[in-house]
Amino acid sequence: MRRRLLTGVLAGVLVLGVAAGCGIPDRSEVQIEQRGPAAETNWSLGRGTEPPTREASGSDAEAFVRNFLAAAAGEPDRAYERVKRFIATADRNGLPDKQGSEVALSVVRLTDDPVIEPDVDSMKVTISVQQVGLLRANGMLVPPVATESTYEFRLISAGPVGEDDAGYYVSDPPNVLLLSDDALRRYYQAEAIYFWNSDRTQLVPDQRYLSSAVPPQRRVSEVVRWLTAGPSDWLRIGVSGLPDRTEMINNATGSDGRWEVNLDMPGADERRLEQLGTQLAWSLRELHGTVEVKILNQSRKVIDLAEQRRLNPLDLIEVNARRYCVYEGAIHSLTVAGEAAGSVPVAPEVNHDIVSAGLRRVDADVLVAVVMAGEDGRQRLAVGRSGGVVETLTTGPSRYAEMSRPVWIRSDGARPTGLVVADGRLYRFDDQAATRQVQLSLPGRVTAVAPALDGHRLALIVDGTLHVAAINWEGGVPTVGPARRLVSSLTDATAVDWSAANRLLVAGSAGRPAIYDVTVDGALETPLREDTGSQVDHLAAYPATAERSPLAGSFMYEANGVAYRSNPFDRINRDQVQDVTPPPAGVRPGNPTAPVFLY
Amino acid sequence: MTTSPIPDLDPTSRRRGAARELWRGVSGRLARSLARLHQTWRRSLQVRVVTITLVTSSLLVGGFAYLIADKITSILLDNAKTDVQLRLLNGAEYAAKQFSLYSQPQEAQLQETIDGTVNYLAGGDPQQNSGVVVALTADNWPGVIEARTSPSANVRPLISPELRAAVADGNVANQIRTGRLTGDAEAKYLVYGSPVPTRFGQVELYYFVPLTLQDTTAAQARATVVATGVALVLLLGLLAALVTRLVVIPVRVAARTAQRLSAGLLDQRMAVNGEDDLALLAASFNQMATNLQRQILRLEEMSRLQRRFTSDVSHELRTPLTTVRMAADLIFAERDEFDPAVARSAELLQAELDRFEELLTDLLEISRFDAGFAVLDAEPTDLVPVVHRVADRLAGLAERVGVAIELDVPTAPVIAEIDPRRVERVLRNLVGNAVEHGEGRPVRITLGMDETAVALTVRDHGVGLKPGEEKLVFNRFWRADPSRARQTGGTGLGLSISLEDARLHGGWLEAWGAPGQGAQFRLTLPARAGDRLTTSPLRLVPADATLPFGGAPAGGLLAIGPGPAGALAVGPAPDAVPPAEQPRAEVGS
Repeated sequence: MRRRLLTGVLAGVLVLGVAAGCGIPDRSEVQIEQRGPAAETNWSLGRGTEPPTREASGSDAEAFVRNFLAAAAGEPDRAYERVKRFIATADRNGLPDKQGSEVALSVVRLTDDPVIEPDVDSMKVTISVQQVGLLRANGMLVPPVATESTYEFRLISAGPVGEDDAGYYVSDPPNVLLLSDDALRRYYQAEAIYFWNSDRTQLVPDQRYLSSAVPPQRRVSEVVRWLTAGPSDWLRIGVSGLPDRTEMINNATGSDGRWEVNLDMPGADERRLEQLGTQLAWSLRELHGTVEVKILNQSRKVIDLAEQRRLNPLDLIEVNARRYCVYEGAIHSLTVAGEAAGSVPVAPEVNHDIVSAGLRRVDADVLVAVVMAGEDGRQRLAVGRSGGVVETLTTGPSRYAEMSRPVWIRSDGARPTGLVVADGRLYRFDDQAATRQVQLSLPGRVTAVAPALDGHRLALIVDGTLHVAAINWEGGVPTVGPARRLVSSLTDATAVDWSAANRLLVAGSAGRPAIYDVTVDGALETPLREDTGSQVDHLAAYPATAERSPLAGSFMYEANGVAYRSNPFDRINRDQVQDVTPPPAGVRPGNPTAPVFLY
Repeated sequence: MTTSPIPDLDPTSRRRGAARELWRGVSGRLARSLARLHQTWRRSLQVRVVTITLVTSSLLVGGFAYLIADKITSILLDNAKTDVQLRLLNGAEYAAKQFSLYSQPQEAQLQETIDGTVNYLAGGDPQQNSGVVVALTADNWPGVIEARTSPSANVRPLISPELRAAVADGNVANQIRTGRLTGDAEAKYLVYGSPVPTRFGQVELYYFVPLTLQDTTAAQARATVVATGVALVLLLGLLAALVTRLVVIPVRVAARTAQRLSAGLLDQRMAVNGEDDLALLAASFNQMATNLQRQILRLEEMSRLQRRFTSDVSHELRTPLTTVRMAADLIFAERDEFDPAVARSAELLQAELDRFEELLTDLLEISRFDAGFAVLDAEPTDLVPVVHRVADRLAGLAERVGVAIELDVPTAPVIAEIDPRRVERVLRNLVGNAVEHGEGRPVRITLGMDETAVALTVRDHGVGLKPGEEKLVFNRFWRADPSRARQTGGTGLGLSISLEDARLHGGWLEAWGAPGQGAQFRLTLPARAGDRLTTSPLRLVPADATLPFGGAPAGGLLAIGPGPAGALAVGPAPDAVPPAEQPRAEVGS
């Protein structure tokens, strides 16, 4: 009994000793292991430009209005805060806040200078605007929703009465965030990002606006976010985005040319990653170095951006473009400012009765499409293809009263296809010159068409208004998707061509006939030729691409039967036309018309 | 000890008193059980061996168990720490990369990035990250940057100010805390913190890793170790008990057998099992017992033969002696008619015949005692007349040798159930001896009694007894100085017979003496025949005796115990031991 008791006591002591002595404690002392990572000092502290503050304009009311229209520029999350700094305290609640992706800036183009009228104790400001679009938080400029053509608000002095230096406050502000096109140009950069077409054979550019306030190290993140968000709506018919539910995990990080992108991407195989690499390489065109693509933290691919760009060139374009024109019914080569002359791709036997021509190099061949004038005054299309000189032209069966210059679309191995506007309708044609009408989603008279270099986008002028649309190549036949109307200050547009991946050359009227360079969303306009004298009937451009070409960005147009060229603007004279016999004396020589580039 | 009986109505003191009572009771019980424990410890070899085994093995096993359990725990903890540290450093690196995109804490997307980073580091699905909570705090930017945790939990209580200070100071630090984060129950968390450098300053990354698994594993390991340890200790105890039992049981049997043997049961033997050491012990023991039995039986037989011989010789001598006596009486009666030399011889013959007769009588008496034929003929008797009678009867002898006999007898009758013949013989013997050895100094007879016993002491102031002679005096035919001729009529058997008489009564006969101080004999008898004696009403050592140590303190008690070389040691009692328990120099019982 006693022995058992003793044993029990001993066992108890043992259990307690062991249990109390060596369990995981409830609380331990703080144990310092090592120094934590320290901040590296070699980070670039570069920071983008921000729009001016309210006080920046001082007592200059006009500058204040200008700044007010730029206030929303910058990172979208804080756009409301920035704009509200311009608004009088009492009126700040009049501007309902939106959060996250709902933040959208109404981009307007001032059609006139702001009208500032002094009132009793404030100033009344009236701005006349053209609604250009809605700049969403993801950098996409979508067609405008608002229809207002004027906005009115008041300026009240921020300081005591009589002291104007304190600047102004906006009273009765518009209930949207306004951003002038000027501010868009100044505080944003238009960035081209690339999506694969539906067949995943060709990259198609899309456009986004990146705020200058975004520091350069966040650029990669932004671009990848744009890519995961998918293409613009109008492009969706011909372009495919990344696989559904693809998301970037946190930010892309890196420095010194080594970047890391972590994605959640369903169905990511080697081919997809390769394509993503190409997409990234071109979308981050000015970036060098490598991007490591991780899928759910697993490193899957390291992309050398420059190498990727080199292996997957964007637009195969002939660097040595040649100029041609139609002179006295025949295609002739043009030499401007000492450029080398090209050989005429059409044999002299068939080189007659030509009104306009569309030339295009496909591999080693040259595709030729010409509009020929018939004896009955009607016009018809003739098409030919040859590695050297086109001996015969296949003439199409249909005749039209009036046909625009035919254009070839890049079709990548499919049957060559071209577009031509005839009698106000859009037709496509093949290498047999058979024309078929292309259905458009909008009624109206088509006057001009221009395919982009990638072959998946079109610029159209319908009823004097500029439109863009995507082409779907399913079945090797181009189908044109819903057209997006571009808001331009030019009216009565007559001719259009692509001057770069995301830029268009448009000829129209801004009071006077003019040629403007417009972005593909119509937001930014640059007048190139304020006054062409008369209406431009014909416009041909050599698009600027990644390939360095002396002709990049050059264009030629024809107005009132006279051909002109850019860089510098000059009239194309007869003596610049090659292989022409001087006209007999006394006969007034004709003018070269319908200038065109062969590339 | 305060025993003040002052009546005190103060409740506190009463309570104190009660408490004291309680304490006294408890301590008493404790002392008793301790004493019992001590007794058990002293008595049982098995308890000692088992206890020592248990204590030693407990200490040893406990120490090892502690070491092992501690090691297991620290390994588990270290593994967890290494794991979390790796995750934390990777996480901090990742977070630093993520935040390097921002140069101001106010940047709008920073908060989003913090959320994303925390979710990413936590691994997304809270169900699958086994309770790990990741938190990012920005103590430097309160109000600007919101702290985030994933999965959502209130981690503030788990980050101690010390840990926060350590991390804010730019250190990777850890701490174990207990709290509740995601589950319903409190759990131990390993809190690991690291600074995350950013371009606008420092934010802090914390990992909260539940140690539930480690805790459970450690507890299981601990339980296993403890169970093993306890089992081992118990097993060792059991083993020790078994082994001891194997040894102790034969020893106990041997002890019991030896006790029985010593009690006279000479035919007791041990069982011999097997051929081991214990069997050898038992066999040897049995051998010894057999030898002893044989010796004792032989001695008993010899003793019986001797006694028989004595008795027979006495009887056989009596018949011729009677004849010789009658002839001698005749000669003695006619001595006046003889020649004076013959007459003197006749007188001598008569005297020696008296002695011879006396000797024969004593021898017969002794042999009656030896043969066990002596019977007590007890009746209630007043001892006072017996004393007077003896004194009167010896008065002549005393007068002849010039010794005064003093009596110290109570006036009241001293009644006891005794055999008056035997008591008178004893007293006569004692007083005769005292007178004989009194050397002219008075002899004092004292009679005393109490409820249970009566006692008689006879004190003389003769040469006394040398140390050790107190017992020898009762031996048959013993004499103090063998060279000294027997002058007086002692046979050398008187005290032996007296001792046998005292024994027959169930009483004591004891002697005390010191050289030069005379001697004192004490006879103690139970007041009722058959009672057992415990004390004597009179003291053995006379009050006037000079003791080697200066005598007993006034009113104090004396202790008499065994001294060196078989002598009696007399000294003051070490404590106020009741007389019943006082060690006593007993002569007979």
